Amino acid sequence: MALLQISEPGQTPEPHQRKRAVGIDLGTTNSLVATVRSGAAESLPAEDGRVILPSAVRYTEAGVEVGYGARAAAGEDPYNTLISIKRFMGRGLADIKNFGDQLPYHFADPSAEGSGGMPVIETVAGTVNPVQVSAEILKVLAQRGADSLGGPLDGAVITVPAYFDEAQRQATKDAAKLAGLKVLRLLNEPTAAAVAYGLDQPDEGGDVADKTIAVYDLGGGTFDISILRLSKGVFEVLSTGGDSALGGDDFDRAIAEWIAQEAGLGTDHDAATQRNLLDAACAAKEALAGESLVPVSYGDWSGELSREKLAELLDPLIAKTLRACKRALRDADLNAEEVAEVVLVGGSTRTLRVREKVQAFFGREPHADIDPDQVVAIGAALQADVLVGNKSREDLLLLDVIPLSLGIETMGGLTEKLIHRNTTIPVAKAQEFTTFKDGQTAMAIHVVQGERELVQDCRSLARFELRGIPPMVAGAAHIRVTFQVDADGLLSVTALEKSSGVQAEITVKPSYGLGDSDITRMLQDSYANAEEDIAARALREAQVEAERTLEAMLVALQENGAELLSEQELGELERAMEALRLAHNGGTPEEIRSRIDELNTLSEPFAARRMDKSIKRAMQGHSLDEFDTP
Amino acid sequence: MELQQNHFEIFGLPVGYAVDRQALARRYRELQQEFHPDRFAAKSEREQMLSMQYAAQINEANNTLKDPVARAAYLLQLAGVEINPEQTTADGEFLMQQMILRERLEDVRSAADPEAELEDLGSEAGQLFKAQETAFSTALQGSVLDEAKSALLKLQFLAKLQRQIEELEEDLLD
Repeated sequence: MALLQISEPGQTPEPHQRKRAVGIDLGTTNSLVATVRSGAAESLPAEDGRVILPSAVRYTEAGVEVGYGARAAAGEDPYNTLISIKRFMGRGLADIKNFGDQLPYHFADPSAEGSGGMPVIETVAGTVNPVQVSAEILKVLAQRGADSLGGPLDGAVITVPAYFDEAQRQATKDAAKLAGLKVLRLLNEPTAAAVAYGLDQPDEGGDVADKTIAVYDLGGGTFDISILRLSKGVFEVLSTGGDSALGGDDFDRAIAEWIAQEAGLGTDHDAATQRNLLDAACAAKEALAGESLVPVSYGDWSGELSREKLAELLDPLIAKTLRACKRALRDADLNAEEVAEVVLVGGSTRTLRVREKVQAFFGREPHADIDPDQVVAIGAALQADVLVGNKSREDLLLLDVIPLSLGIETMGGLTEKLIHRNTTIPVAKAQEFTTFKDGQTAMAIHVVQGERELVQDCRSLARFELRGIPPMVAGAAHIRVTFQVDADGLLSVTALEKSSGVQAEITVKPSYGLGDSDITRMLQDSYANAEEDIAARALREAQVEAERTLEAMLVALQENGAELLSEQELGELERAMEALRLAHNGGTPEEIRSRIDELNTLSEPFAARRMDKSIKRAMQGHSLDEFDTP
Repeated sequence: MELQQNHFEIFGLPVGYAVDRQALARRYRELQQEFHPDRFAAKSEREQMLSMQYAAQINEANNTLKDPVARAAYLLQLAGVEINPEQTTADGEFLMQQMILRERLEDVRSAADPEAELEDLGSEAGQLFKAQETAFSTALQGSVLDEAKSALLKLQFLAKLQRQIEELEEDLLD
């Protein structure tokens, strides 16, 4: 039996050894989880050895089934089996109807309380929303990671399409929260793919050349093109583009339509027929990878699908992706010839016709050595390993941009852009507002995302209500509202009345998403269903948070505690840490949280001094090399 | 770096219109390596928040200095000149020239060779832009702030024209 290590009172134990971190590709069609072990990233398999988890969730009276079993049941039980749910994330019911798909689901009234404006789907197990469905997929992957790494996860990097707007990113993060995951970062899928290929690694000569990389990502339900610039270890997203409603599923639909037409089935089918048609279409498409002509049959009808016919069916869809490539290159101020590397991502890039067209467009052979289904999860795992602190990669930094402009509604339903698309995040923008009535104490700000002039043509993100503005005559109040977008692309808003210094109170109503209280309620629902002990989980979460806080503090103290703190300050911090340790070992979740808050407050001056020190160091390094370079 | 430092100081660059873009890009990367929130993912909440604010400021400074019009406006702001976003140039000759250019832009679609005509327009707008940049830089160096402001207003006009040319180019390509 291993001996327990116990540190002397007042002394600090060594920080944890390896943390348990995973990368998760939460895909439209398939999802995966990967981790770094013995220096290499690998996808983690289920018990049956398969690494892919189909993003299909089936609700039955007996419980929830996720993966292959659920996907297989989609044909026989279409109403209770949710597939491609990622397309619904951060969207409203009207958007989804606009997809023009033949969706088999029964939608409940979206104005129902607590649905947050999201589509709500009726199943035999009750109503569910897209965030809950995604959380079911994440739970399975998180469990797989925990089983494989031998304990609860310390953190996860979850990937999202570069094209995802704020609401879609927020919905993804909310799903992670419901699944009990700590999100280290939402990472753009194409960036993860570039990391997986090690395009940031030095060549034989030890140099890392500056280069431009195009990542062509055609998944089941989304297409993304990203133009990245790699320069001295910094990945900079120059531009992104794509279509969040275009993918391999559309290939299957186009082929299915052809089959239906050839078989004389007309265009209006019930859900089960549509599913079966799609299965036949998908099988034919995959068979064509090795053949030039394959037999296809449906019901009594049988025929043949040739590569030429397939090209004819797919070319209009592929052309759409290439137009987006052209636009992204233009946004980055580049020609196709200036792209040094092309990376293929997503199962749909296995389709030969796609590879041919992409190679022709960029004039070079794309990278396709890593399984295009796994490449994103592998890149995410590599980044998770760095962020959680297992591996120091001082040379690698991923800078992301906001994919769509962020604006506010002004008079007459017009959009005023505050943060333009492709601006590097994090970013903050302040805007001043005033009142238009005497004594006005509240105002509402409608935030939208998109490129169009009219509010109605953009995506509504949220309505922020400011309250507590001191009453003044019209136009006298100067309210400075700061819109902050963090490194995950998520928006937060603060407001200050300048003349009085009063901080306005803000409540957020996401247009298609959840408020904090909705998430709490859903968490409680999920405990009730899963027979999980809510108290045990709350305690465990508080303890993990305490461990994280203590460890961050230990590392900081080791680095420069002696240098930046007086003896008295050091003593106070150590006492607060000891109090937190005690609470961690036997206190209630509330006690632990309040000790964490105390420690955080007490350490604020220390954090500020550490920052100042970083700044001084950055400035000195600068003055040395800046003026020596010719 | 401190929150009250001006954008040029953050990057250790001399305050002026001419900017060494390579030095700016290099410095930008160095600073983000130091302050990006990813560097603080395992640190305390307070440090995470500070790093986000710093990283946002570095981005803002970089965007301002990278963009010729934003840089010019910022320089005037540092010199204490207020720019009203509604304000426009009063130079009649310049406005006339702009009207002619815009009319040509509107007629591009019906031109015999739209792409060639658009390219002509683009290079003409580019030359005019360069000329105003020189005018701005000279005026600012000589502290003739009125002239600098007048050049800035023209730069804004020309930048808008260039954007419209690019948009039309994109439309034509599709």
